[in-house]
Amino acid sequence: MIETVNLGKTVFSPEGALQILKEVTLKIDKGESLAIVGTSGSGKSTLLGLLAGLDSPSTGSVFLNGQNLTAMDEDGRATMRNQLVGFVFQSFQLIASLTALENVMLPLELAGDKQAKTKASALLERVGLAHRLSHTPIKLSGGEQQRVALARAFVTQPAILFADEPTGNLDSKTGNHVIELLFELNHEHNTTLVLVTHDKDLANRCNRKITLEAGAIL
Amino acid sequence: MKATALLAWRLLWRDTRYGELSILCFALIIAVSCSTAVNLFSERMQRTMNAQAAEFLAADLVISSSEDISKAWLDEATRLQLKQAKTIEFPSALVENDELLLASVKAVSALYPLRGQLKISDETESEITTTQAPAEGEVWVEKRILPALKLHLGDVLNVGEKALKISKILTYEPDRQGDFYSMSARVMLNERDLAQTHVTQPGSRLHYSFQFSGDEKALKTFHDYVKPKLNASQRIIDIHQNRPEIGEALRRAESYLGLLSILVVLISGVAIAIATRRYSERHFNTVAVLRCLGYKQNQVMTLFVLQFLILGLFTSALGCGIGVVVQQGLFYLLKSFLPATILQPSISSLLLGFLMGITILFGFAVPPLLQMQKVSILRIFQQQLEIVTPSAWLVYGIALSLTSFFIWFYTDNLKMTAIIMGGGLLTLFILRFFLTHFLLYTKRFLPKISLNWRFGVEALLRNPKISTVQILAFSVTLVAMILSYSVRTDLLKDWQLQLPNNSPNHFAINIFPQQFDKISSDFTQQNIHSSGIYPVISGRLIAINDVAVQKIVSKETQGDRAIRRDLSLTWSAQLPEDNQIIEGEWWNKTPVKNQVSIEDKLAQSLGVKLGDKLTFTISNQEVIADVVSIRRLRWDTMKPNFYMIFSPTTLDNYPQTFLTSFFLPKEQKNLLNQLVKTYPNVTVLEVDVVLTQLKTIFTQLTSAINFILYFALFAGLTVLFAVIHASLDQRIYESALMRVLGANRALLRRTHLLEFALLGFLAGLLAVLISQVLLFALYHWALHLTYSPNLPLCVLTPFGSAFLVCLAGFSCVRNVAKKPLTTILKGK
Ligand SMILES: Nc1ncnc2c1ncn2[C@@H]1O[C@H](COP(=O)(O)OP(=O)(O)OP(=O)(O)O)[C@@H](O)[C@H]1O
Ligand SMILES: [Mg+2]
Repeated sequence: MIETVNLGKTVFSPEGALQILKEVTLKIDKGESLAIVGTSGSGKSTLLGLLAGLDSPSTGSVFLNGQNLTAMDEDGRATMRNQLVGFVFQSFQLIASLTALENVMLPLELAGDKQAKTKASALLERVGLAHRLSHTPIKLSGGEQQRVALARAFVTQPAILFADEPTGNLDSKTGNHVIELLFELNHEHNTTLVLVTHDKDLANRCNRKITLEAGAIL
Repeated sequence: MKATALLAWRLLWRDTRYGELSILCFALIIAVSCSTAVNLFSERMQRTMNAQAAEFLAADLVISSSEDISKAWLDEATRLQLKQAKTIEFPSALVENDELLLASVKAVSALYPLRGQLKISDETESEITTTQAPAEGEVWVEKRILPALKLHLGDVLNVGEKALKISKILTYEPDRQGDFYSMSARVMLNERDLAQTHVTQPGSRLHYSFQFSGDEKALKTFHDYVKPKLNASQRIIDIHQNRPEIGEALRRAESYLGLLSILVVLISGVAIAIATRRYSERHFNTVAVLRCLGYKQNQVMTLFVLQFLILGLFTSALGCGIGVVVQQGLFYLLKSFLPATILQPSISSLLLGFLMGITILFGFAVPPLLQMQKVSILRIFQQQLEIVTPSAWLVYGIALSLTSFFIWFYTDNLKMTAIIMGGGLLTLFILRFFLTHFLLYTKRFLPKISLNWRFGVEALLRNPKISTVQILAFSVTLVAMILSYSVRTDLLKDWQLQLPNNSPNHFAINIFPQQFDKISSDFTQQNIHSSGIYPVISGRLIAINDVAVQKIVSKETQGDRAIRRDLSLTWSAQLPEDNQIIEGEWWNKTPVKNQVSIEDKLAQSLGVKLGDKLTFTISNQEVIADVVSIRRLRWDTMKPNFYMIFSPTTLDNYPQTFLTSFFLPKEQKNLLNQLVKTYPNVTVLEVDVVLTQLKTIFTQLTSAINFILYFALFAGLTVLFAVIHASLDQRIYESALMRVLGANRALLRRTHLLEFALLGFLAGLLAVLISQVLLFALYHWALHLTYSPNLPLCVLTPFGSAFLVCLAGFSCVRNVAKKPLTTILKGK
């Protein structure tokens, strides 16, 4: 499902070139769940960004579903993301001026789905927010916002879900609730899951775990 | 306080280093330099225009009198350090070589003319300009005097008992006042030779003109000093009162330039308000953190006000500097249109520009800044906490009072201020209400349309309140520009109407009755268009309803001028071209004797109504006539115009000559010689010189106005950028998020374009509505022009506006899609 070969990233700062990711070679199968752990600044988000095609690598390449992301242009990767990938972020990243429903509808609309509204409401109901459809993110609590984000991530039935510290901004109880939901949905949709976390328990719930340090897999 | 100031400075410095303030700064500098340039430009332009008008007076201020004026007045003028000159005009019969000619002699003092220049020529016919009066013992004459008296340049001309040498031909004098009908040939001599001519006896008809020039304030003081002391035969004239047609044009141009300045200030204000609002919003967190760190609320405010003060001082100074350069550059660019010498800007107006910069800044920046005061410390814990806005009335009251003050300051007209403010505010409130509701309503009924369209429309509807503000900001700017443009176009049209291209440029006077038929047929033969041939009879109005006019008429009015000298009276069976009866009726085919039709402004100032009985003296006989109609006429058409037109036969028994005016193109000038040869008694006056002068002035006014219009446009574009920049962060963020979710860049571009187009279109539509209402009010009450909507403009504006907003908007957001997507992972 996901495959990387010698994935590396070098950034250039005033202090000189800085290699923030070194020769990462990975293979993640369909339906598998992978946890990426490591200390802060070890390159977890960098790796996630490269896997999801949000960024392009300095060396090596990424294959999603057999297609070489690195060879695609920006718009090609966008289409790929829309069809294949869902995201959950630490800071929710909902559009403030859209209602919960509209936020969830957005990826469907981008894909040209005619039944965006029905599907989105159904999924919001699934995450327990049937009564908050018309609320804007500002009126929702953090946990609720993250549930909206979950609904948005799953609504396109993506083959892969990327989650970057999905519980980072939540208290443990709310966090657990969100995590339960995430795994349930993951199971229901048989999604490949790549999850970045600091949380050991959470990492242990995944099939596999890799640890990054200074940009390299330990 | 010192610590706060230091902190303010440091915060400001850091902000600029991180680029946070650059947009605000940019907006401020544009606003200040813009308004400074406009101020300076219009101030210098106004002063130059005034100087031009002064040229027609040959001075800044003139006291005209039929006798010498009190020495105390002249001493006062000396005390005020005013330059002085004096001219004495009188009619005099010249006899040379057995020929007789009635000339108008003008004795001038050494400094004449104080303003403008004389033009003279010699045999070579090449014209030179001079500001020197004729030397003692010399005389300058108008060309037509030489053939009439069989003289040549260098000959001796006897004026009264004094023999003077004809040294130059006088071709132009700046202050030649055109009572064309009775204009006789000019002879100009030095005042010191006057006594020896012995033509000025006590009781002879003299016309004194005491001319002054100098510092504007001193002139004002002098004006106020002299005015109450004037007697019935004296008048004081300054550049605003002189020459009704130019005075009117200048006054209009002045109020127009003033109006434009206000609009530029307002537009800049909008830009500043938007920029500051964004600045405030960006600093809500800073405020919360500072409060957490133990800063008191008013300390926080002081901190930000100080930052703005520093910013204001810096940008105002910079803006002023740029303004000076820009306006200098403009004068340079326009130099072929403008008079050779442009007066320097006064330090005070530069200072005014600087102060105004700071005032505009604070007037429009304080309201959004005040929002910071309401930032809750709790924001530290909860980023999204909404801001409690301070009482909107208080906040916008400041900006409104400031705006009103500016309008009043420029127009010096409370009524106009009230109209602009009242009308403007009311419209804004109503529009805001309707616009917000219109957007909300549309949102609910958004039809199922294609994705691009939906996203575009939705982007606009997402936040109806912000969209409303944006649309209103654009509209106000557009309204300002439409107003400027329309008023300018209509003023120009009005001015051009005043001076149609083939308006008569020659007057022929002193046509004898027996020549009437022949000269008419000559004109027809030569294809010369004349504006009718009218009899002229000299007469004086002495009583209204048997009350002597002196008792009725107040000083300084037109009526006053009309009764102090002979009027050119006429009779006519037909109503002359361009005359319009506004009361009573024109006589029909069988007119009754002893009826008269009077011009309406004179009737007003004399208090004459229909049915009144007017008594005239004509050739020492009394003529009594009843007023049967009141006419409105255009004084600025260069056609024969008469205050009084009598019914046919009323004036049959009085000596009369005829006059006409006609248009002769340059190529046909040689016809003049023929005319003068055939009718030696007829005097032809070439008034095209005066016309050229008028046209020059109007052209210059137009350029000035055109030019300042570009400034309004520039200010408008600033607003455009400010508004788009204010929403840039959000756009960048949302675009990045949409791209993460799979939107391609083309879609985002189309969405943005559509949003901008819609925004621009709506703003344009609104602007058309508002501007037409305002124009109507303005024309009707302030400018006294006729309102007629400019349809192409109304139709084009929304599309033009859509295009403009798209262009500006797109140039701002074109980089939006380049934002690295990884930022989304980092939580914005
Ligand atoms: N564009 C960039 N320029 C310079 N340095 C960068 C850039 N992007 C990332 N880095 C550096 O690369 C390292 C890895 O960053 P990354 O965000 O991947 O860390 P992380 O493991 O996700 O940390 P955290 O757990 O705190 O989120 C950090 O030291 C970061 O400062
Ligand atoms: Mg990270």
